[in-house]
Amino acid sequence: MAFFSTELAVGVPALAPERPVTWPKRTRGKLANGLEIVLAEAHSIPKFHGELVFRSGNAAAMHRSPGLAEITASVVRTGTRKRASRQIEEDLRRIGADLSSSAGSDTSAIVFAGLSEFSEQLLSAVNELAREASFPEPEFERERRQNLEEVKLERTSPGFLASERLRKVLFGAHPYGTVSASEAQVAAYKRDDLLQTYRDFYTPENALLVMVGDFNPAAMLGSIEKVFGAWSGAKPHVPTPAAAANPRGRRVYIVDVPGAVQAQIVVGCHAITRKHPDWVKLGLTNSLYGGAFNSRLVMNIREDKGYTYSPRSGVHPMRQGGYLSISAAVRNDVVAASLAEMFYELDKLRALPVPVSEFADAQNYVSGMFSMGLATQSGLLSQLATVAINDLPDDYLETYRDKVRAMTPEDLQATARKYLDSANMQIVVVGDRRQIEEQARLFGETEIYDAQGKPTK
Amino acid sequence: MNVTVSEPKHLKVAIASTTLANGLQVVIAPDAAAPVVTVGIYYKIGFRLEPQGRSGFAHLFEHMMFQGSANAPKMQHIKLINSSGGVLNGSTSYDVTNYYEAVPSNALERVLWLEADRMRALKVDDENLKNQRDVVKEEVRVNVMNQPYGGFPWLDMPPVAFRNWANAHNFYGDFADLDAANLIDVQDFFKTYYLPNNAVLLILGDVKAEEGVALAKKYFADIPAGAPPPFADPSEPEQKEERRGHVDEKFGTLPAIAIGYVMPSRRTKDWYAMALLDQALHGGRAGRVYRDLVLEKQVAVEADGGIDDLFGYNGPTQLTTRIMHKPEISADATVAAFDEVIREIQENGVSEDELQQLKVKWRSDYYATLEGGRGGHMPKYGLMHLLACFTLFDREPELVNTILDGFLAVTREGIQAAAKKYLRSSQRAIVFRTPVAIAAPPANGAREAA
Repeated sequence: MAFFSTELAVGVPALAPERPVTWPKRTRGKLANGLEIVLAEAHSIPKFHGELVFRSGNAAAMHRSPGLAEITASVVRTGTRKRASRQIEEDLRRIGADLSSSAGSDTSAIVFAGLSEFSEQLLSAVNELAREASFPEPEFERERRQNLEEVKLERTSPGFLASERLRKVLFGAHPYGTVSASEAQVAAYKRDDLLQTYRDFYTPENALLVMVGDFNPAAMLGSIEKVFGAWSGAKPHVPTPAAAANPRGRRVYIVDVPGAVQAQIVVGCHAITRKHPDWVKLGLTNSLYGGAFNSRLVMNIREDKGYTYSPRSGVHPMRQGGYLSISAAVRNDVVAASLAEMFYELDKLRALPVPVSEFADAQNYVSGMFSMGLATQSGLLSQLATVAINDLPDDYLETYRDKVRAMTPEDLQATARKYLDSANMQIVVVGDRRQIEEQARLFGETEIYDAQGKPTK
Repeated sequence: MNVTVSEPKHLKVAIASTTLANGLQVVIAPDAAAPVVTVGIYYKIGFRLEPQGRSGFAHLFEHMMFQGSANAPKMQHIKLINSSGGVLNGSTSYDVTNYYEAVPSNALERVLWLEADRMRALKVDDENLKNQRDVVKEEVRVNVMNQPYGGFPWLDMPPVAFRNWANAHNFYGDFADLDAANLIDVQDFFKTYYLPNNAVLLILGDVKAEEGVALAKKYFADIPAGAPPPFADPSEPEQKEERRGHVDEKFGTLPAIAIGYVMPSRRTKDWYAMALLDQALHGGRAGRVYRDLVLEKQVAVEADGGIDDLFGYNGPTQLTTRIMHKPEISADATVAAFDEVIREIQENGVSEDELQQLKVKWRSDYYATLEGGRGGHMPKYGLMHLLACFTLFDREPELVNTILDGFLAVTREGIQAAAKKYLRSSQRAIVFRTPVAIAAPPANGAREAA
């Protein structure tokens, strides 16, 4: 693998001195009703982007039913006390706005973008959806019917089946262990459950409004006060579930899809939250392992061996913990070979020091990506929302690159030893059992499931 | 909604452009707001012009452009960009292939050096070709063969809709054709199409106009021009009746239908009208197709559509609607419900109120395109793409600042006339992608659409 430490080719221009980043100025505020506000100016286009985020998602509604926060978010936009679905959609188009409402494990959100000249109208629409959604019965029925088809359909996607099984294996009975509802659960959704979820979650004390774009922050703060000021509602009481046990020992889980012409591999273990002091270190370690195009994993199983098109690794932070995943869709006959290389690269990173030049390249990459991610309104919005929702320090943007720069190759090796938990990685392979089982069994005790999630012999 | 309108702001993109002596067109769009620069090179070659017997070659070739050039061997391309704190990629489409990087602006010269090196001479061997052939096959498997609705409808539609091989073949490539491709093909393709006089270089972001032009000259001026590349005629024989085709869906549970109508040429009066007609039909949940089929008649679970790369086509292309309908609704009933949407707009056009909504949304979307990236880390990708298309096809990058006026000048009559002229059954093709699991009719018989 000599190419990992090759120096640059002859004649390559040196890097010029780095130009300073002008960090966006943020304006913070909090309304009397508890709504937290973060604003940042970005005048690239006469538009703005925003998110009204609620600190409760599917995990917090799991005791009622999986996916409940998601379908609640879907139905939110289909009617209010003032307007029917068709009117809402036309009024959004009238002001050039885009709007979506959705929920993840830990949050629900109304995400929007529009022309600066109509900012107050768009804020009013967001306010109306957050406070006065009426959950019309026919819209709920339609959405439930669509949802039923969607949960059937997602079971035909190898990527979905792989991540569903991995989450189940890593988090078990914890809400994070269930990523989607079953057909029976969707059929059992009640409009009252959605209303309850809406009343509990969509409150100003549970909310955070982040906006980025072409506006004057003082004036925008005034508009927000005017539009959202009369809203009221308390934080929901959601007990924190017991943390899931971290599985010990490698095990293999096959999801059998007869006739699959490729095997979807995903390997994973528990990781950390965004607030964890090791977060930046793990980010850099992941980048060098499999998070970048020139990472070890990609260079090995794609550019050297041609096993796969899109290998990658990533860290997925959640409010309570998180996980690390390594994935690749590979040729059926190289399942064992691909797993061998994934583990080889994990073990190598844990066992051998990282060459200084390779380490510096990874530092540059992570640092550059961070700056790049701030160069569009939506990119900056996503960073600011991450900072706010995770209660990260105010100077998170300004100090991130310094933290990356302060790391040493020794830190990286220590981080790999701590978190790239090779001996306890759980292995999921989605594919045609007849073609992959023998190869997969080489890596541990094996359980086999069908695409519906039922164990099979 | 109570709407008070403040004066709309107009966006003007600062642009400088020039053509080097070797024919390379250069466009600079300076903007120092962030210390980041986006570089793109577009070559005027895509799927359409790839050689017969070599389906998928334009895309396979794109992969080869990352495999090594005269002074930067394999792995150096990727390493050079990533280790500078940047990202890179490329993509192949019908009429262009692009290569692009976004980097902190202190790495600009390094990026230009790399792009010039691989425009000057590609240096690849059999092992590289075998490696990327394997990678491309896994790309096809992950995106098409092992994916529900993989390739729908972009690979399903061309053989049904078109008769000229240039437009009708498998753009990702038959595996036999990929296997047959050899190094001679690679170098021939490179020598024929990858010429400075068949390309545009774009530098956007943290660079001054004169600095950008000077750097373009420094790195690219000595690359020799070549003979103007041949242009295989992609025109189609006249279509006289509706065309239909059927494709098996191996994994998915819902029947899917794609309906495509042939578009007029770019930048004609009808083209502007078709773009707003597309917005009327496919503009999200307010669009007539989603509104009628999913929200109101509820025959479909999903419906969307659009024009494949409105600004970047140079041969026959379509306005396409994609529908996934409920299994208990028949395909005929679904098409009938769709036809009702088309008939309604042909007979009654759009109201003045709807037209105004369409224009505001169009303007808003256009600004988003100019600013928007690709993924989270490729700022100004949209602006780069428009500037490239306006330069390669129109030799007029300034269109980026004036093209919006054409869309905002479209009238109600223009939209209705375009609907009557282009949304005709005799000018369309329909692909039915039917799940093998439900290909047999259900026992209780198919219900008709409400």
